[in-house]
Amino acid sequence: MRYARRTSARSFCLILVLALLATACGGTVTTAPPTEVRPEELTGSLTVLDWAGYDAPEFWTDFQQMYPKVDVNFEFGASDADIYAKMAAGDQADVFHPYTGWLQFYVDEGLVEEIDTSKLTNWDKVPEDFKKIGQIDAKQYFIPWDWGFSSVLYRTDQIPEGVDSWAALMDSKYEGHISMWDDGPGAVTVSSYIHGWDETQITDEQLAQIKDEWIAQRDLNLFYWAGQPELDESMASGDVWLGYAWQGSYATLLGQGVPVAYADPKEGRNSWVGVYGIRKDSPNYDLALKFLDAKLAEATGNNVVNIYYYGHANQDVMNGITDETLKQTFSIDDPDILGKTNFTPNLTAEQRDAWTKMWAEVKAAP
Amino acid sequence: MLDRRTTYWALYLPPLFWLGVFFLAPLALMAAFSLRADMSANLLQDWTPTLKQYADLFEAGTYWRLLAISVLMALIVAVIATLLAYPVAYFLAFRVGVRASFYLILLLVPFWTSYLLRVMAWKIMLGSNGVINSFLIYTGLTDEPLPALLYNRTAVVITLIYVWIPFAALPILAALQRIDPALFEAAADLGAAPARRFWRVTFPLSLPGVLAAFFLVFIPTVGEYVTPLLVGGSQGSMYGNIIQDFFSKAANWPLGSALSMIMLVVTMALVLVAMRFVDLRRLIE
Repeated sequence: MRYARRTSARSFCLILVLALLATACGGTVTTAPPTEVRPEELTGSLTVLDWAGYDAPEFWTDFQQMYPKVDVNFEFGASDADIYAKMAAGDQADVFHPYTGWLQFYVDEGLVEEIDTSKLTNWDKVPEDFKKIGQIDAKQYFIPWDWGFSSVLYRTDQIPEGVDSWAALMDSKYEGHISMWDDGPGAVTVSSYIHGWDETQITDEQLAQIKDEWIAQRDLNLFYWAGQPELDESMASGDVWLGYAWQGSYATLLGQGVPVAYADPKEGRNSWVGVYGIRKDSPNYDLALKFLDAKLAEATGNNVVNIYYYGHANQDVMNGITDETLKQTFSIDDPDILGKTNFTPNLTAEQRDAWTKMWAEVKAAP
Repeated sequence: MLDRRTTYWALYLPPLFWLGVFFLAPLALMAAFSLRADMSANLLQDWTPTLKQYADLFEAGTYWRLLAISVLMALIVAVIATLLAYPVAYFLAFRVGVRASFYLILLLVPFWTSYLLRVMAWKIMLGSNGVINSFLIYTGLTDEPLPALLYNRTAVVITLIYVWIPFAALPILAALQRIDPALFEAAADLGAAPARRFWRVTFPLSLPGVLAAFFLVFIPTVGEYVTPLLVGGSQGSMYGNIIQDFFSKAANWPLGSALSMIMLVVTMALVLVAMRFVDLRRLIE
């Protein structure tokens, strides 16, 4: 769930100080006990840097049952940028949870340890396509965990003609009833789909054009949503007719009986994947691996699907879905859906900086 | 018995420590970050200071305009909030008598709820299915909800004024309470009518409180970002939102720090200029 993208208000100065204090004080160093200890007797402590909400026991229930004596502590990041900034500032979390797009720099800056997949009992339940998402330079640095679509979500009562392209987000017909996600890389993704450009090879000229298009779009856009509930509320109330949306919004609104449909744009849907990484030099590497292995187990996976309506990397979990709304949400009955889907590629540090600057200039433009 | 020195340090050390660790140190860090070229490498390692971030900001240009708009919005908010807070403070100081503490609590009640909740309440007021629009449609004054109420800069200004009025009333109230009642009697004895008494005695003596209220509102409002985020819509961004974006959405602390430093300098410059025009010391004497 990405609810946590909502702004953590007025805490940025604090974060800066806390991040530095965390570095200065150093993390609690606990060595993993020898492996012959029975799981239920295993002790130790593990710190997880995650999104608010993911600390709920439902999202690590398998680990809790297998290793009841291990002390799991959670820290929170408010966004991918926030999590990255914390790790870069020397946060001592053993495990952290970034999303596709934001993986490359952890490897470039030496912040992430390679995953020893031979120690993961649930690894063979993860489809190859998902495994690849966690690989950088042919090494498995991350394990995929949760995933979902991004596409255009629209009210079928206001837009009976339907939506067949991402370009609907820029259609003046819907002036004042559009809501775009507040995210620079997300905006570049949408534009490159519309133009058929390779998202990984955006030139300066193309970026300048993208900026102009989103500045023009701003007059049609009601507000940029930062947290999923903002979008859900305004679509339910009828203020927003269409928006850039994760499928969690689709499932939520379907569940509320709001007349909505999730577009299958001709350019293809977007998909994002949440992954877990282990901090380089974490003294709790083995324990962290056990934690991630249990994260891939079925009971935890079912909770992700049933509570937050997101997909899980364990294919058995996805195959076991029977709920009609969920089936519709994941387009499970459409065998071609993943073929028509564009997975978010990894940003380089230069792209990240250029694209986020572009978006700030869109917002600051006259 | 504690000697004077010990008492002095016992009282001053905790706040000094607090300000040093949580105010001055972050400020110094921010200044240092603004001289970094990027976020690569360990943030605490040495780096070569560079003015790249400032150069980038000058090149982009567009942020200056936004800063000017934010200053203007803060000015409007501060003036109106102070004007509206004055009668509130006057009422509390001179009209409520023995029930003053009750009314003071009433004034402070909004602070017991979260800031976010109070701003969200304005969304409910101004929304297209909100209180105001529902009323207009119910009374037949309009057929369609007015779309212009929410998601623009006016909504941000209205909400901020509401949020600041109770804050602004407090320093004015303090100033009014400090006035010696004998002065009013003297003015009345000398034949001053109530209006004249107010403009010649009460108001000038309350000016330090009025100025304090104005700056209390103006300075934080220049960097405001929560309210525009919630009620400003796509076109209502303020300078503070851009700073917040560079920290929270872009992982670009150097650029965010440079933007913050510029805001700090501009705000301080504006306050200094204002101080030159209004000599605070003379007012207080």
